[in-house]
Amino acid sequence: MNISKCMKRNVVSIPLDATVREAAAIFVKKHVGLLPVVDKNEKPVGVVGLRDLLSLELPVFVNFISDVDYVHDFGAVEDTRPSAKALDKSVKSVMNEAVTVEEDCGLLRAYALMLQHNLHDMLVVDKDGKLAGIASRVDIGTSILKSWDKVK
Amino acid sequence: MNALPTLIASAIFSASLYLIFSERVNRSIVAVAGGVLMVWLGRLFHFYSEEAALEAIDFNTLGLLFGMMILVAMLEPTGFFEYLAVLAARASKGKQIRLFTLLGVITTVLSMFLDNVTTVVLIAPVTLLICEIIGVNAIPYLITEALLSNTGGVSTLIGDPPNILIGSAAGLSFTDFLVYSLPIVFFCWLGAFFLLRYLFKKELSKRPRSVKAVMKLNPAETLNQPEAARRILIVLGGAILMFFVHHILHISPSLVALSAAAVALVWVHPEIGEVLKKIEWSVLVFFAALFVMVGGLEQAGVLESIVGLFRGASGIPPVLFGVILIWVVGTLSAVVDNIPITVALIPVIKGLGETAGMDVAPLWWALAFGAGFGGNGTIIGTSANIIVASLSEKTRTPITSKFWLRRGLPVMLVTCAIASVVYALVFPLF
Repeated sequence: MNISKCMKRNVVSIPLDATVREAAAIFVKKHVGLLPVVDKNEKPVGVVGLRDLLSLELPVFVNFISDVDYVHDFGAVEDTRPSAKALDKSVKSVMNEAVTVEEDCGLLRAYALMLQHNLHDMLVVDKDGKLAGIASRVDIGTSILKSWDKVK
Repeated sequence: MNALPTLIASAIFSASLYLIFSERVNRSIVAVAGGVLMVWLGRLFHFYSEEAALEAIDFNTLGLLFGMMILVAMLEPTGFFEYLAVLAARASKGKQIRLFTLLGVITTVLSMFLDNVTTVVLIAPVTLLICEIIGVNAIPYLITEALLSNTGGVSTLIGDPPNILIGSAAGLSFTDFLVYSLPIVFFCWLGAFFLLRYLFKKELSKRPRSVKAVMKLNPAETLNQPEAARRILIVLGGAILMFFVHHILHISPSLVALSAAAVALVWVHPEIGEVLKKIEWSVLVFFAALFVMVGGLEQAGVLESIVGLFRGASGIPPVLFGVILIWVVGTLSAVVDNIPITVALIPVIKGLGETAGMDVAPLWWALAFGAGFGGNGTIIGTSANIIVASLSEKTRTPITSKFWLRRGLPVMLVTCAIASVVYALVFPLF
């Protein structure tokens, strides 16, 4: 079985010229965890994860202190928002490299790539490199487990 | 004297210094290449040998640094530094001036016994945490911690690398530093502290937004390994006691530090790989290679010629000579790394004593004050400054080199000035 059988075809994506603010609004509206960034030809050029946006909000000390267990109240940083300047930047400033596979990619290969790149969702492109679908770990994992039925 | 070796050795050293100061190549890489080149050309032109190069390495300095690095590397993961900072935060009840004072004092005391870089690396992130949760600008605190740890470090033999170098070369004991350096540094520290409070009065007068959060910090929870922390602190305390009497017992400071490290390793039994990973090997390599290079300079007769130049200055009153040394070394240390300056000046001062018959005892202190306080002036003056500045780059208000100059330069000038005045007043006692 290949990935095209288990992927979702209706993919929410954002254009390359969108701002961080616009990306955030789409995350909220569509309730997704990852947004592919596409160019004018619908080809994926990057991805923006929920995590990338949240890191704008996270206090600086979290990156420097190995253990925050003893901080029971984040105090003033709980209501510190990113600056307007940071929100009006292009998504390019927060996006990561897109890892993609073609539609005929096997499920185990897709899963291995996700493990290697620490991804929760895999972008699928067609022969022309255009975005064709997206498959989550759950989509891919359950499809693999389904085949265990046949093991007698 | 043959002119060629002098020329070759000075050329290697100057080129290395230039590369180190241009910061285009890592200083340890430059020093290793320069040291090896010095040995090769020294053999070729018969002014330096492998044996002489090995002899030039001051293993007392390296051993002391290495021993203290092991102790700190073991203490770091126990959470002891977070513990101190959290105690300070709670004791301050969110009052800025009180927090500023407590963190400043803690940093100073730590820096007297630990390397300044280590002190700042460990205390600055917790400071950032405390400032962020109470909602105040962390920059005054970060800059102050770097400047006060630089200042405090001058007071003891083990407080900063130039002192270790000077102590080892001049045979000064831990107690010598407490008697001659600590009292002078105390006045300089007071000057620096109150000047910083004044320079940051605008930031420090703002009311914190959330004091409640700081009271919820639980110091006990910061100690991940309380038993290990207890043992390492006992060993560290024992080591400090040994430092007090090392000269009476005729043991070198490096033996004290290495013994403490060995006792702590045996008693705590940490994962040795993790401990060794935290050792700043680049610093040790830099020192060793620098010693080899300066050894070449000495063998080639370069330092002798410099001593000759200074001999003309022997007409200058010794007090004035010392004060000039403070300011010259201070100014140099503000713009360049104070370690190569110290390593290069040590044989010169020694030479002034041996060949020019000058009383060099006071000059060692002048060198220590200049090298120690000069680094406060600029953002690149010391490694502690650089660490704080790069940490601030991750915050909303990065420290610029111009901003550092406006806060650090006054501190450098005031500490050097106080040091000069007190130095001149107590000069007959040296």
